[in-house]
Amino acid sequence: MKITITMRHLFLMLYVSLFISVLAGILVQLFLHPHPHFWWEEIPVFSAVYGFVGCVIIIIASKALGHYWLQKEEDYYD
Amino acid sequence: MIEWFHPGFIYLFGALLVPLLKGKKRLKQAYILLLPAIAFVNLLLMSKGVLLSEGKTWVLTFLGYELTLGRIDRLSMVFAYVFVIASFCMFLYSLHIKEDWQHVSALLYIGSTLGVVFAGDLFTLFFFWEIMAWASLFLIWYGKTKSAFGAGFRYILVHSFGGVCLLAGVLIHLHNGGSLAFDSFTWGIGSEYLGAYLIFLAFIINAAVPPLGAWLADAYPEASITGAVFLTAFTTKSAIYVLIRGFPGVDILIWLGAIMALYGVVFAVLENDIRRLLAYHIISQVGYMVCGVGMGLFGTAAGDAAAEMAINGAAAHAFCHILYKAVLFMGMGAVIEVTGRRKLTELGGIYKYMPITFWLYMIGAFSISGFPLFNGFVSKTMVVHASAMWGYPTIWLMLEGASIGTFLHTGLKLPWGVWFARDTPVCEAREPPKNMLAAMGVTAFLCTLLGVYPKILYDILPYPVDYVPYAPGHVVAMCQLLLFTFVAFWLLRAMLHGTPTVTLDTDWFYRIPGKKVMRFCEGPLMDFASFMDRGTLRMAGFFRALPPKSQTVVENRIDNAFHERVPVLLNFENIYNTIKRAKNRELSFNLIYILIAMLLLLIFILFGVVMK
Repeated sequence: MKITITMRHLFLMLYVSLFISVLAGILVQLFLHPHPHFWWEEIPVFSAVYGFVGCVIIIIASKALGHYWLQKEEDYYD
Repeated sequence: MIEWFHPGFIYLFGALLVPLLKGKKRLKQAYILLLPAIAFVNLLLMSKGVLLSEGKTWVLTFLGYELTLGRIDRLSMVFAYVFVIASFCMFLYSLHIKEDWQHVSALLYIGSTLGVVFAGDLFTLFFFWEIMAWASLFLIWYGKTKSAFGAGFRYILVHSFGGVCLLAGVLIHLHNGGSLAFDSFTWGIGSEYLGAYLIFLAFIINAAVPPLGAWLADAYPEASITGAVFLTAFTTKSAIYVLIRGFPGVDILIWLGAIMALYGVVFAVLENDIRRLLAYHIISQVGYMVCGVGMGLFGTAAGDAAAEMAINGAAAHAFCHILYKAVLFMGMGAVIEVTGRRKLTELGGIYKYMPITFWLYMIGAFSISGFPLFNGFVSKTMVVHASAMWGYPTIWLMLEGASIGTFLHTGLKLPWGVWFARDTPVCEAREPPKNMLAAMGVTAFLCTLLGVYPKILYDILPYPVDYVPYAPGHVVAMCQLLLFTFVAFWLLRAMLHGTPTVTLDTDWFYRIPGKKVMRFCEGPLMDFASFMDRGTLRMAGFFRALPPKSQTVVENRIDNAFHERVPVLLNFENIYNTIKRAKNRELSFNLIYILIAMLLLLIFILFGVVMK
């Protein structure tokens, strides 16, 4: 039997791993009680939210900075 | 009898033999790979206490000063190890290069970096520091394009400035009664610390700390394909070494490092050139190390554990960074090698031609992003953990944020844009030469090995390591962070296509005025020169009225004055032509000059030994 992996399978894997990572975060918080240094480390999904929001902010802020200020035509220095 | 042979000298003297092996291809290749191997054995013998062992030094007397060429302790050894190991992988990558002088420059570059690492006094440090700058210049010029020449010139100007700062700093430091020994400098506010400030400035120029770091992203992407791989490792990481040595716990470094980590990320979003994008991520990653150095302050109420963690983290991250950054540059170099294209806007869809390169590159990308099981995870988290131990919430958030950006660009945007992004390939491609693939394979293996079994690395760090990278909390948090970064990337991927633009960086401040000076020379200055010329001729015309004999005398005098005496001082045309000529001179010819200068300096030092 030949196994072909389609984009649908890949996305299914992604959803499963997203779910597992969040679930694992909650379980670690509930049962292992790691010693946090900052208050937000006790929120089980903090890293997930930070990763998503951080990524969106980085893209949008940098693009805005480039668009209004830093990006120039390729022959700018010639 | 020689009690110790400096590992750097294996490269420096080894370089001299390369041109003699002309025409013997296999022998030359074997020889080039043999040099790092010998150096590695040398290091192993040193760590075992054979030859010169830890805690001892190799001292020469020169002009009444004691020069320490070999200071061996845990800190210098960890950097020496990674430089030697990485150099082996990099020479494997560049084995197919036929130009001997490229190998010679690389060998001199690495040899001098090892010289910096083992330097126990400031004069030795300065000596090798300068060779390092000049030898690396040729790796850039071997890019052999007009922009490579320009970038090389800017590179050496910045580094010469850094070198002068270092020398001035050393001299002032000595004048103020400081010792020649290279240990941590006393730091404070006031004019008596001027020497330390200048040395600090030289160090952070080499570490590419913004706003002084634009030279890195300017020059590295213009270097030759193999040269760029060498460049990624040595200059910035030796700067981290000297910062750890000279300025541990200087608090301004904490902020500079954290800002630097984010600065590289922002610029990487805007970048279209594939290697320049990676170059900005060197700046970003070096930011973690700089931050770590800044947190290495001992003797505070917080206890020394946090400081040890920070210094260990900086050293460990330098170690890991050299390896994964080499893989990344090797991967992008391979793409440029087979396609001849270097812009995201001109690439895409070529995965099916080069899957092996893609997957090896991805190991580097997973490593730099700090995926569990890869080496970035075991080192980057040490620095982040140190910031938590110190209780710096903002620094912690900035460093974690930079991790997001790192994965976004190196792990997602770049491979997506280069190998996928389009349904049909933009051009033909193939896997690169075998030696390049092998080099990527070996380096990627090392990245994974250190990630899976970090004990090898932790055992050689400067301080005892009390840190468990694979604590469940760490692993889960990192997985969440990176997975959700992917989600955001996928939703916004349309915004991340490359755009055909250049991004302004702080190099603007010397590129644009520099251009203006050249324009001034070509335009107004030349106009002025010809105006003076015409004036002289007209003045000579006035003397026509004089008797013929004195007329010629006067004319000759004026002519002499204006065309021979004055011009010696002020012949703009000549100055301009000299600059032009120097710019276009044969590469190897320039290299010979530097070799001669270096030999002369070595002879001086040996002379000093004999006199002793």
